[in-house]
Amino acid sequence: MKYSYNWLKELSGSKKSAEEIAEEITMHSFEVEEIEKDELKLDGVVVGEILEIEKHPNADKLQVTKVNIGKEVLQIVCGAHNISIGDKVPVATIGTTLPGDFKIKEAEIRSVKSFGMLCALDELGLGADHSGIFLLDKNVEIGTPLVDVLSEKDKTLEIKILPDRAHDAMSHVGMAREIAALEGNIIDYDFDGLILPRKKTNRLSVEIKDPEICSRYIGVVMTDVEIKDSPEWMKERLETCGIRPINNVVDATNLVMLEIGQPLHAFDFEQISENEKTKIVIRKAQSEEKIILLDESEKQLSSEDIVISNEKEILALAGVMGGLHSGISNKTRAIVLEAATFNATSVRKTRTSLNMVTEAALRFEKEIDPNLAEKAIVRLIEILEHTANGELEGIVDLYPKPVSPWTVELDLNYLNNLLGMEVPSSKCSRILESLDIKVKIKKNILIAKIPTYRIDLKTQENLIEEIGRVYGYENILAKSPLVNLSGATVNENRKFARDIKDLLASIGFNEVYNYSFYSYAEANVAGLDSIKHLELEAPMTADHAILRTSLIPGILKNVRDNIKNYKEFNIFEIGRIYFPSLQDALPEEKSILVGAIVTEKKGAKEEKIDKRHGSVFFEAKSHVDYLLEQIGINDRYYDTFEGSSIETPSLWHQSRSAEIKIEGSQESIGFVGEINPFVLEEFDINNRVAIFEFDMEKLCAIAEAEREFTPIRKHPVVIRDISLIASGNVRVDDILMVIQKAGGDLVLDVDMFDAIDFADSTTSFAFHVILGASERTLNGKEIDDVMNLITSKLESELELKMRR
Amino acid sequence: MKEKIEQIKKQALAEIIEATSVEIAEELRIKYLGRKSDFTNILKSLKDLTGEERKTVGQLANTVKAEIESAFTQKEKELKEKSFDFAAEKIDVTIPAKKMKRGHLHPLTKIQNELEDIFTSMGFEVADGPEVETEFYNFDALNMPKNHPARDMQDTFWLKGLHANERVAMRTQTSAVQVRYMEKHVPPYRIIVPGRIFRNEATDSTHEHTFHQFEALVVDKNINVGNFKFIAQEFFSRFFKKDVKVRLRPSYFPFTEPSFEFDISCTMCGGKGCSGCKNAGWLEIGGAGMVNQFVFESAGYKRNEYQGFAWGFGIERLAMMKYKINDIRLFHSGDVRFTSQF
Repeated sequence: MKYSYNWLKELSGSKKSAEEIAEEITMHSFEVEEIEKDELKLDGVVVGEILEIEKHPNADKLQVTKVNIGKEVLQIVCGAHNISIGDKVPVATIGTTLPGDFKIKEAEIRSVKSFGMLCALDELGLGADHSGIFLLDKNVEIGTPLVDVLSEKDKTLEIKILPDRAHDAMSHVGMAREIAALEGNIIDYDFDGLILPRKKTNRLSVEIKDPEICSRYIGVVMTDVEIKDSPEWMKERLETCGIRPINNVVDATNLVMLEIGQPLHAFDFEQISENEKTKIVIRKAQSEEKIILLDESEKQLSSEDIVISNEKEILALAGVMGGLHSGISNKTRAIVLEAATFNATSVRKTRTSLNMVTEAALRFEKEIDPNLAEKAIVRLIEILEHTANGELEGIVDLYPKPVSPWTVELDLNYLNNLLGMEVPSSKCSRILESLDIKVKIKKNILIAKIPTYRIDLKTQENLIEEIGRVYGYENILAKSPLVNLSGATVNENRKFARDIKDLLASIGFNEVYNYSFYSYAEANVAGLDSIKHLELEAPMTADHAILRTSLIPGILKNVRDNIKNYKEFNIFEIGRIYFPSLQDALPEEKSILVGAIVTEKKGAKEEKIDKRHGSVFFEAKSHVDYLLEQIGINDRYYDTFEGSSIETPSLWHQSRSAEIKIEGSQESIGFVGEINPFVLEEFDINNRVAIFEFDMEKLCAIAEAEREFTPIRKHPVVIRDISLIASGNVRVDDILMVIQKAGGDLVLDVDMFDAIDFADSTTSFAFHVILGASERTLNGKEIDDVMNLITSKLESELELKMRR
Repeated sequence: MKEKIEQIKKQALAEIIEATSVEIAEELRIKYLGRKSDFTNILKSLKDLTGEERKTVGQLANTVKAEIESAFTQKEKELKEKSFDFAAEKIDVTIPAKKMKRGHLHPLTKIQNELEDIFTSMGFEVADGPEVETEFYNFDALNMPKNHPARDMQDTFWLKGLHANERVAMRTQTSAVQVRYMEKHVPPYRIIVPGRIFRNEATDSTHEHTFHQFEALVVDKNINVGNFKFIAQEFFSRFFKKDVKVRLRPSYFPFTEPSFEFDISCTMCGGKGCSGCKNAGWLEIGGAGMVNQFVFESAGYKRNEYQGFAWGFGIERLAMMKYKINDIRLFHSGDVRFTSQF
């Protein structure tokens, strides 16, 4: 809210500068966001005293003056006649640039030299007045820059009011009370003296249809009102606070709102009455009722909105804005003034659904004290009696449940214990009293009587905050807490994620973060359309409409964006995916790791040769091997992807994807594979992309279980080679399984070291078989027997022939 | 016989020195130490000598043999080294080496790691919570009932309802984890909650709808504002590796009372005022406060049984300060040109 510095000073009695007050308020109450400085550019304009005035020898309308500006006396030709000797006037010296880019130069006007200019208000950019030279106070010092003289002009303080204080601090009285309290004073404002006169009228009746929507309504009839401009001082105050002056009645309602914080409204009695009488009804709108507001916009209302109506039509949107038709015009003679308390939630809903920001709504929606209505209306009547010569006819006040001050008890030991500093009890009382809170202390208990406009003060912690902030948080010393020394429990999942990230970064992967949302289009392109997605109620854009069930679309977008700058790169992300749950309100969240390896596409011929180790699939697989070995998962195997356990088969390259499993289990722990070329095409990616994907929690659980020491082998191992020719249907894994099974414990490891494809789609493979026993050295016969068993099993179980 | 041995030695050593190639040296070895050499014959004839003589001659013969052999070994080594053509192996060591692929952690991960390390070293536990949260934990339990104006301060991504009785939303603050944790643990405890949060806001260079927060919560019987100041000062001094002061200003959060905005002394000028802090000497960092007793009640604790503080701040903001990043949207851009700088 915008505050007038002069007004605050007047109410608070503070002698401080705007900057000093801003600093104080910022540290103890609210953040002062801005002090609006004079935007005047008046460098070179100084105060001068007129020493002589003579007629211009060659021009009747001009005068020649001698002006003392301190350093020197200047001869200046001047056209205005409102000056006399001894006047203090603004002098624009040679070299000055006045607003409007008007440069002051040495001039000769009809043969008389002139060394500067005496200025009128408009020439200084201070107004529209060109009736004469701007005469300054006689006490100002000669030679003073004009800017310094004008700094007496009001300044605007833009202060950000905390939401729990809107009901009292969005007013000059409230803010002045803060300022006074910070200086240890109490403001001099006769709040208690503002009491509603008992004067009735039978021309106005009021009905509140539902006490929930309006806790108080005061209607006042004033007659013989003269509509005109407000006095200058009032206009200035309003303008300083960012409100445009309109006429004396509207301005007075705004002024009182700025002063006390209660929004007010004025109706033209004639416009809302019939046969010299009017009945005001406060009710909820019927759906589709319409109103044309003061800003000339037409709004369609819903049954949530509160309206002020008479028996015929809606007069105003309660707490937000008045209607155009019922407003004050130049012809208005009698008025109805309204000071009411509307339901905060309703006003907020109305304001947000109609997307309107008004001074009134901003106050009502934060809840205000119904007792303020009385103070404000009395003040308003007082002003209008002066500025509009209005006469009070009578008052109607509906206030079914009056609110009275309440008490809060504060344990002063608790205060010291919570703040971590000792505040003397006398100091506590003084602070609260300066905030208009009446205090009694019994032993260590402070009993505070809270004025009704401090809706926010309900608990002892609220009072501790008041005392703490006014006393000054800077007085609290930093002190280590006394805590038990037990070490922190390690968050295993988090630590594991960190290890994985470090591992991947160390082998050339760049970490990326993607949004948790994507679009339906992306989900479809990535083949995720068969999965049920959670939807946002009101997404900002269609791009972010649903919650991701896979990190892969995001990663593919990253791939697409980065291939503009890099031909080959690796990226990864660890993030959550979300699945709707049938039982629980909360979705199932999983932490997922996805890595992508991007390589350039090779020529068709090379691609064929690279079918094995050169392909991006195997690059990904080697990274996966490295990763899993580093975290201690050694007994993994890769199973041909059959599309059964993958939820998103169309995302993957059908013939270049694998499920990763742990020996002895059919359950996948992850996937590695190339991406379906058609999906890549949709993402505009013309590179080879291989992806691996793991569920972090599963991976962490297995890594934990797997870590176990195997004793170091004492007896030598023997390596025997076998080579064979297999038909196209035989997978390397099948061969390995048979060798392992046939050799039992004696086969320690099997390494494929050669593979050649033949035109008839058979392949020649060669393997090292590593044999050994843990407790002895194998002899020749044992070795031969095992190898024979292996070869015979291979030939009997698989479509292959041994080469001997 | 002794003379003969001495003579062979003399002759052999002289000839070995003269040898000019490995082949010649090898021939000499055969000549002097080979099976048919004079020296071998002498050794063979030793058995014909008397005991005493055999001992002295034998000893001499063995020393000489060793001497000649070592001369050979040395000569051969010398000749091999001479014959190796280092010039042919010459490489230009200034040629750039093959580039290893370098990987990089995301800057937010790096900052988060640093934060976690500092806090865990002070005995804090790292706690987690769901990113999609119920209305209860995200709002109601934190003293933000329906229609509370403070809910307006956090534009929320609500999810389309699947279960009529409970609304769910993308969590708007890591504070949502507070009551979850309180329900399952008995004070004293001190935890941190780093995590991703969401606000339904238009994005620009300083605003994102998805960002990361860091929450700290300390609860015990006597935790006070001074303790918060201490821990905050300790943390920021370690994080920025210099003495950092913390300043508290009044603020409002429904789930803390009293509530603070906290500023730290400018990390560039130390508080004197510079362009980085717009001459204020202070940098706005985040919000904090003493846990509102209402929140303890939401978690099932008795009112005024415990005291604690909670504070939170944006990780992006810290990263932007630390690395001088000028656009918050870069964090979720997935651009390797960005992440590879960290």
